[in-house]
Amino acid sequence: MKKILSVLLAAVMVMAMLAGCTSNNPPANSTAPSTNSTAPSTNSTAPDDQGNEPAGKQYEGVNLTMWSMWNSDEPQGKVIQEAVAAFEEKTGAKITVEWKGRSVNEILSASLESGEKFDIFEDDYQRIANIYKDYTYDLTDMAKAAGYADHSYACFNDTVVEWTTERDENGNVTKEGFLNSIAEQPQVGGIFYDKDAFTKAGVTAEPKTWTEFLDVCQKLKDAGIAPIAQDSAYADFAFYHQLVRHLGEDKITELDTNGGWANDAGAVAAAQEIIDLVNAGYFADGAPDEYPSSQNKIGFGQAAMIVCANYVTAEVNGATGTEINWGLFNYPAVDGGVDNGSAYIGTNSLAITSYTENAQAAFDFIMFLTSGEMDQKMADTAAQIPADSRNTAPANLTGTIETLLSADSPMTWCNGFNARDDLKTSIKSTIVELFEGKFTTGEDFCKALDALY
Amino acid sequence: MKKFNWKKEVRLLPGYLIVGIWVLFTAVMLFWILGASLSTSREIFSGEVLKFASGFHFENYVTAWQVQNVSVFFGNSLLYSVVSCVGVLAIAAPAAYVLSRWQFRGGTALRIGLVIAMSVPVVMIIMPIYALATQWGIKGRLLLVILYILMRVPYTTIYLLDFFSTLSRTYEEAAYLDGCSGPNTFLRIMLPLVQPAVITVTIFNFMSVWNEFFMALIFTTSEATYPVGVGLLNIINSMKYTGNYGGMFAAVIIVFLPTFLLYIFMSEKIIAGVTGGGVKG
Amino acid sequence: MKKNKSMIFWFCLPALLSLLIMFVYPVCRTVAMSFFQVESLTASTADWSFYGLNNYLKIFKSQSFLTSMQNMLMIWVVGGVFTLALAMLMAVVVTSGIRGKKFFRAAIYMPNIISAVALATMWIQYIFQYDHGLLNEIVMLFGGDKIKWLGSDIKFWAMTASFIFGSVGYYMLIYISGIEGIPQDLFEAATIDGASKGKQFFSITLPLLKGVIKTSVTFWSINTTTFFLWTKMFSPIDTEQSTIVPVVYLYDTVFGGKGVINRDAGAGAAVGVVLTLIIIAVYVVTERLFRGSDLEY
Repeated sequence: MKKILSVLLAAVMVMAMLAGCTSNNPPANSTAPSTNSTAPSTNSTAPDDQGNEPAGKQYEGVNLTMWSMWNSDEPQGKVIQEAVAAFEEKTGAKITVEWKGRSVNEILSASLESGEKFDIFEDDYQRIANIYKDYTYDLTDMAKAAGYADHSYACFNDTVVEWTTERDENGNVTKEGFLNSIAEQPQVGGIFYDKDAFTKAGVTAEPKTWTEFLDVCQKLKDAGIAPIAQDSAYADFAFYHQLVRHLGEDKITELDTNGGWANDAGAVAAAQEIIDLVNAGYFADGAPDEYPSSQNKIGFGQAAMIVCANYVTAEVNGATGTEINWGLFNYPAVDGGVDNGSAYIGTNSLAITSYTENAQAAFDFIMFLTSGEMDQKMADTAAQIPADSRNTAPANLTGTIETLLSADSPMTWCNGFNARDDLKTSIKSTIVELFEGKFTTGEDFCKALDALY
Repeated sequence: MKKFNWKKEVRLLPGYLIVGIWVLFTAVMLFWILGASLSTSREIFSGEVLKFASGFHFENYVTAWQVQNVSVFFGNSLLYSVVSCVGVLAIAAPAAYVLSRWQFRGGTALRIGLVIAMSVPVVMIIMPIYALATQWGIKGRLLLVILYILMRVPYTTIYLLDFFSTLSRTYEEAAYLDGCSGPNTFLRIMLPLVQPAVITVTIFNFMSVWNEFFMALIFTTSEATYPVGVGLLNIINSMKYTGNYGGMFAAVIIVFLPTFLLYIFMSEKIIAGVTGGGVKG
Repeated sequence: MKKNKSMIFWFCLPALLSLLIMFVYPVCRTVAMSFFQVESLTASTADWSFYGLNNYLKIFKSQSFLTSMQNMLMIWVVGGVFTLALAMLMAVVVTSGIRGKKFFRAAIYMPNIISAVALATMWIQYIFQYDHGLLNEIVMLFGGDKIKWLGSDIKFWAMTASFIFGSVGYYMLIYISGIEGIPQDLFEAATIDGASKGKQFFSITLPLLKGVIKTSVTFWSINTTTFFLWTKMFSPIDTEQSTIVPVVYLYDTVFGGKGVINRDAGAGAAVGVVLTLIIIAVYVVTERLFRGSDLEY
């Protein structure tokens, strides 16, 4: 029996050793954090509105954990690291960043729900407002105290409040909406193009209407440049623009929910216009191509325009090692269109968990990162639009701040196609086929969509 | 060396062609990846990978190792594989030994349970495990190692069981007469006797854990804990923003190279491990 | 030898616990969950509400799930036939007495040791690439028109082909060890009797490999039901209809993929149960088909 014990003991020790060398990360906390905590933290001093540092370090002993959607090697990640170091130096707080990468959006729901211990997280603002709402901290008061409205974009803040508002069946507000995220990397969508290609083809003005757009396409084609690059990954986003022009987003949601595309003249016309583009040979060779083959053609001077969001400029520049002279214009207006003015805007935002113990410190860090010097750095390093409207946009994004400040009718990222989870991928496939020229008329395409229901 | 026999070689010509083409294709693939790892993104996307017009870009490797954290992913994979191989043996070998030696109540049930467990698809397991792990607050590296160990227990036990049962009982009887206790006999005498089987099954376990992707994707949630598979995927996803594809392929080569060298030196053992494992399983 | 009860107990306990924690409990809970309405994985059982067969009705009404099942079936049948036939071909050639047997065996198995993430990237960015990919270069060499290998109608087959390429080596090893287990004198006798290589293959090798083939079919089936990574690689931004498979559908449903707003762990559990039932069915059928396969020689 003694020997058995010694063997067992040895086994236990081996196991303990194994466990020991695997748990470099701090032990998980075993106390379940309460999820309904709304009281702001009490163990930190109130921030000074003027930004004057109080005597002694403000957040000495405060530990914050941030889940980032970036990797530490990406430009955004590097700026965040810099901001963390500077903030720690300034306030004495300790911030741990966990680099979750893009798949953070696949784990956030479950992690928030189970009260995982983190204070700040990054994701798309649309998801933060719609999916994680119940687990996010109400930032309204802190934002007011910090004068956030003066240097941010109303289009994001208002939209967030609108999305978080709860209504009953009759449309009466049952719960007021609130600000639950702070914009970090704003995005603007539309048609991005190579200005030099336009000059080469003799195009002098950005097209405003569909007819003008077709004219530009023809000129580019005549000059030997493929007019439009299109990767299948963004096919739905491109067609969404065409549909929004004809129908508006609400109508798309309605059709997406119940079908009936073929009975809608606008949907048929939108599809027909894409088919005409395909037949006219306005798409780059191989389009809709496998991401990022087609968009890179702009970098190689083989194509001129692409429907996408602003990050396409940095992507193409990076992947093809060029500095394209980028321009941006809003998606052209169509004849008899219902919504001829809206443009896609969106943002990666930062939010605070509802159960954090250091809301004010977390908020101060977010402000530190998304305004002033750090924000300018973020914009310059990652070639993105600054979140602080007082900053300046990098050269490849000139004019985007103004677009954001004046944006009054934002378009979502294909939200209209999200009404039916079960049909989403089928609809997208059908749209890819539309760009592949599988349909002869817009009606055929709409019928194919209806066949899915 | 066999004597060269023209007649025989001609007769085998179609065979040479078949495997030759297949291997050539594999080689082309490898060379392309190697070429891409030394090229710029622009060259990769304009189809000029094997031309090296702008020279060899060895800096891709530096970037991949230092900046893209391949060293971290690699260390993680090694840790997961080594620790789980040891852990699973600690659990499986004693059970296999006992099950092969004695009839006892519940023994057959345990054995059948292990056999069935071998073919339970992982999707049946992950959801409750996810809930449990959250509830118990286990996460990160520790969680993944535990899961890999538990995951490999049924297969390893059944595999070793077959080998233990081929051993003659005279060993134990002699040990017993010498006053050696049961556990001691197991550790000192029986375990060394099945060493070849232990090596085989360990290689197989090692490869399974090294290549595992699905559980790693679900249960590792930050850059610091990714194994190579998930890490590479993450690098590719972030290409969207950095566009450094040369660095990504350099990462692929860095991950591939040690495994490849190991494979060259141990291919006999590895192949034995895989087929032994495969056919028995 | 004397039965040492306490030793038996302590030696078996860890294995028993592993079995209970890792297999028995999860399987039971997943099966149970498939009959309840559960939104989140981490929801406590108190929040589950009984849902009967509605989760199953839901997934079988979902176009995405049906397509994913169809895709999986195609991979299983078409991919299976090609993989196992190619593996058998390679195994027969490698064991036919060619020179450099060990080299060929190692080289053909090699794709298995390259990370699938790397392999898939290579296929997408090089072999199937439209403008200057290997296949289109070959096509143009023969004067053909460039083909869109990754277009929506053949993307699935492009993916399956690259998966097959990565899998052949493993099954080849299994067959090789099977072939090497056949006594050589059988072949020698047949050669003396004047039987051709082809005849020898069909009348000696194949029948004697029945057991090994059964194993490989079972392995292939299990592998197919867990198909996941290649789909992720061939549809990098969003899940696509052309490449979706059940595990990807499950992943999106349970963890809420991009843009999926309503997560549904109950439906995910139902997908898991359906996959398990398929594996059981395949297992039973192969057992039947290959009954009496353990020929003695």
